[in-house]
Amino acid sequence: MLKILLNRPEPSMDTVQQHQDFNQVLAAFNYQKKVLNPWRYWHYPIWVLALVLLN
Amino acid sequence: MALQLSAHQQSFLLEEERKLVERAQENPRYFAPLYERYHDAIFRYIYRRVDEEEQAYDITSSVFVKALQGLHKYEYRGLPFSSWLYRIAKSELYQSFRDQKANRTVSIDKVVLKQVIEDWTEDYRQQDVDRLLGKLRLLKENQLQLIEMRFFEKRSFKEIGEITGLSENNAKVKTFRAVLKLKQFFHQIE
Repeated sequence: MLKILLNRPEPSMDTVQQHQDFNQVLAAFNYQKKVLNPWRYWHYPIWVLALVLLN
Repeated sequence: MALQLSAHQQSFLLEEERKLVERAQENPRYFAPLYERYHDAIFRYIYRRVDEEEQAYDITSSVFVKALQGLHKYEYRGLPFSSWLYRIAKSELYQSFRDQKANRTVSIDKVVLKQVIEDWTEDYRQQDVDRLLGKLRLLKENQLQLIEMRFFEKRSFKEIGEITGLSENNAKVKTFRAVLKLKQFFHQIE
C-alpha cells in the first residue's frame, strides 16, 4: 500500500550525522564476514577424526 | 540537487573517488571517507521512501554493510561511486518492502504539487490535489520512481540515469512517458 506524505519534515544534517557511525558499519561487516565464511568450521572434522583415531 | 560542475572538475572528482575506492578495496577501513561523503544523501533517498525515520537509518546502515561486502566486485565505469550505492539502496529498500518491514512511501512537497497542477489545469483547486494524489497510486512502480526523482526530488536526468542504470537520454524519455501517463490518468473522467 502506497503511503503519500505531504510536507514531511526532514531531519537536519546534524541529526543525520549523529547516526553516522562508520565503526558500527565496519563491525557489522567484519562480523558478517566471519559468520558467512564457509571455512569457519574447517577444523571440526579434523577434531572428530583425531578423536576417532585416538579411540 | 546535483551541483553543476565543469567537465574538468567532474573528471577530477571521479579520479579522486576512484583512488578512494581502490584504497578501500585493499582495506575496508579506508572506506570511511566514502561513507562520510555519501551517508547523508543515501539516508535522505531512503527516508523519503519509507514512513519511519528509524527504519531509514537501519536500511542506510545495511546499504553500507552490503557495499563493503560487494566492494571487491566493484568496477569503475566512469560513473560516480554514488550511483552504485543508490542501486544497493534501491535493492535494500525493495527487500524491506517485500519483507514488510517498511511501507512504500512518497514524500511530496505541497508547493511542487501545486506547480504540477497549475501546469496541467487552468486553476488550482484542492480537489485536484486529492485527484492527483489518487492517480499517483495507479502508476507502475518504475514510473512512480521516475516522477518521484524528477519532480519531488528535483534530480537532473543525468542523476536519474546514474541511479536507475539508464542513459541520460533514456531516463529523459522514460520520465516523459511516465509524466504523460500520469497526466492521462489525471484528466480521465471518472
